Amino acid sequence: MLEPIATKDPTLPRRLADFSTLLEAIEYAAKGTRGLNFYSPRGELETSITFAEIKEKAQEIGRRFIHFGIEKGSRVALIAETSDEFVCYFIGCQYAGLLPVPLPLPTSFGGREGYTSQLNQQMKSCGASVAVSASYMLPLLDEATSGLKKMKFVGTSTTFEAQASLKEIKSITLPEAIPEDLAYLQYSSGSTRFPHGVAVTHKSLMANCVGIGGEGMMLNDDDRAVSWLPFYHDMGLVGTLLSPIANQVTTDYLATEAFARRPLQWLRLISKNRGTLAYSPTFGYDICTRRASPTKIADLDLSSWRVAGIGGDMIRADVLTNFLDTFADVGFRATTFVPSYGLAECTLAVSFARLDTGFEIDLVHEKVLSGEEKCLKKFKVNGSGANYRSVVNCGIPISEYELEIRDEDNNDLGEYQIGRVCVRGASVMAGYFQDPEATKSCLSEDGWLDTGDIGYMKEGSLYIIGRIKDLIIINGKNHWPQDIEWAVEQLDDLRSGDTAAVSIPGDQDEEIPAILVQCRTRDEAERAKMEHRIKDTVHSMLGISPVVALIPPRSLPRTSSGKLSRVKARKQYLEGNLVL
Amino acid sequence: MTQNVDEIFERICTLLKPFNKKDIAIGKDTAFSIDLELDSLTVMDMLSEIEDEFDITIPLNMLPDLETVGQFTDAVHKLLSE
Repeated sequence: MLEPIATKDPTLPRRLADFSTLLEAIEYAAKGTRGLNFYSPRGELETSITFAEIKEKAQEIGRRFIHFGIEKGSRVALIAETSDEFVCYFIGCQYAGLLPVPLPLPTSFGGREGYTSQLNQQMKSCGASVAVSASYMLPLLDEATSGLKKMKFVGTSTTFEAQASLKEIKSITLPEAIPEDLAYLQYSSGSTRFPHGVAVTHKSLMANCVGIGGEGMMLNDDDRAVSWLPFYHDMGLVGTLLSPIANQVTTDYLATEAFARRPLQWLRLISKNRGTLAYSPTFGYDICTRRASPTKIADLDLSSWRVAGIGGDMIRADVLTNFLDTFADVGFRATTFVPSYGLAECTLAVSFARLDTGFEIDLVHEKVLSGEEKCLKKFKVNGSGANYRSVVNCGIPISEYELEIRDEDNNDLGEYQIGRVCVRGASVMAGYFQDPEATKSCLSEDGWLDTGDIGYMKEGSLYIIGRIKDLIIINGKNHWPQDIEWAVEQLDDLRSGDTAAVSIPGDQDEEIPAILVQCRTRDEAERAKMEHRIKDTVHSMLGISPVVALIPPRSLPRTSSGKLSRVKARKQYLEGNLVL
Repeated sequence: MTQNVDEIFERICTLLKPFNKKDIAIGKDTAFSIDLELDSLTVMDMLSEIEDEFDITIPLNMLPDLETVGQFTDAVHKLLSE
């Protein structure tokens, strides 16, 4: 029977990502015995691969790319299955000096066209020359790559590797990488219709892995990560694949789709393999709690879990409390929670809560959260009553960063003031790939990144209260309101500028999409039909039915330059001032 | 034992009951998203129930083509016949 790769490696001292490139990192990890384990949906070990084996296979793939004639710097789209093959191809690109671009898998029922057109847009945006997927995904990949003229190869690894024999590629020398070279492109942020690929250099990646392994998690010899996060998302790719390579951490994986169906399998793996590090957006903790029952979890032992990281969406204190209430009996400790903050534009991590303290909340007045009041001190922090909401402490920025909370005129506001979260440091992206305009809109010439999030600092810790970018995050996935509005406005009887897509709080403070639509007809049957069509359109994009509000023509608020103001629209809607 | 499509459809309808919050009539044209209004997480809850019942795994590449109960029934039938 297959045995999982062990947690400890007495043969190799741990180095916390003090490497100049990802290649140097994998070369060092390959000297030891650690590696990655891939589990089936039912929790059986399917594949184990050591870092040494990854290096070996990746070098072969690198030579194959060069032999095939793929030029240095070309983009290689990889449908990011949770598999050893994805890992070897990702690293293989590094050996050939190519930029891997991890692309998403389908996540839910329906929406074939939306899925393939998203892949198409992303591959078009980066000008990919190669696209590789597992064989079962090939029909979808073929559809997604049709019309892409720059493609030199579309197919499975088997087909690609049949292009040349090992003997033919033996003598090919692999290029060196320097820290300033780009390492990969990340599409987890950005609109699907107008995608921006975050361009990450080796230098940024290594700097971030230093912060994650060192200050963030303070890795020790007993650490082992267990993850279900997808490799096409920054938290999955950097947090649970590249950081484990750069910090030599044995990691166990459960495919994302397997987690979505049987979330408790994640906890079972932690329990069985004595996992210590496991990350998830808030909703992952939520679905574990929802699926748990005393009999189902009785045999778990979560006492080994040391860092239960939370990030990737707005952290909700009630979900964490429910998780704790459910799993405390099987050894989960409150102090294990480590709220954190990050974004793809910073490679991944920006801040981590202090370890072994658990999550801390501020109760903040609604007037502060809605942006009416800019200074926290005018209201009692941690006051009580219906007008207060909890905001989770996202921790202390890792020391590579300078962080400022700024007002509209870029003044640094200091503590207790609400403003835009801006950061500068080695892991801030080089820019959006081949998109100077989008880069300029968030990254200043002197290296300051406007994260698009709003928040405040208190006693050195960062608290995030919202987003300027109007992003709508459903079950951990970012959606750009522009994309949703565009799709809705394609429906008959609607015009450009008729809609506003905003996020509103649901019963449990979760995010719910609300589509505000200027509707000209007063005919009830027509209105009902329109509402149905809008719900249908939005559901196929977000996987959730939105609230639809049909409002009078010309009632959506605009800014002085005539642009839609989603912030105002949202506020007016929530106050009940927008309905017919 | 291979089951015919109608039997599979009946079993799926029974399994869908707890997810049919609005208690609508379920036919082969019923769409999971618009008619049953299932969000993407609830769909997964449902999927795992049905997979366990039939002891199958619906491959990931099939998901984008499954909009209705009828399409889902056909997919289950196909997997059971293989």
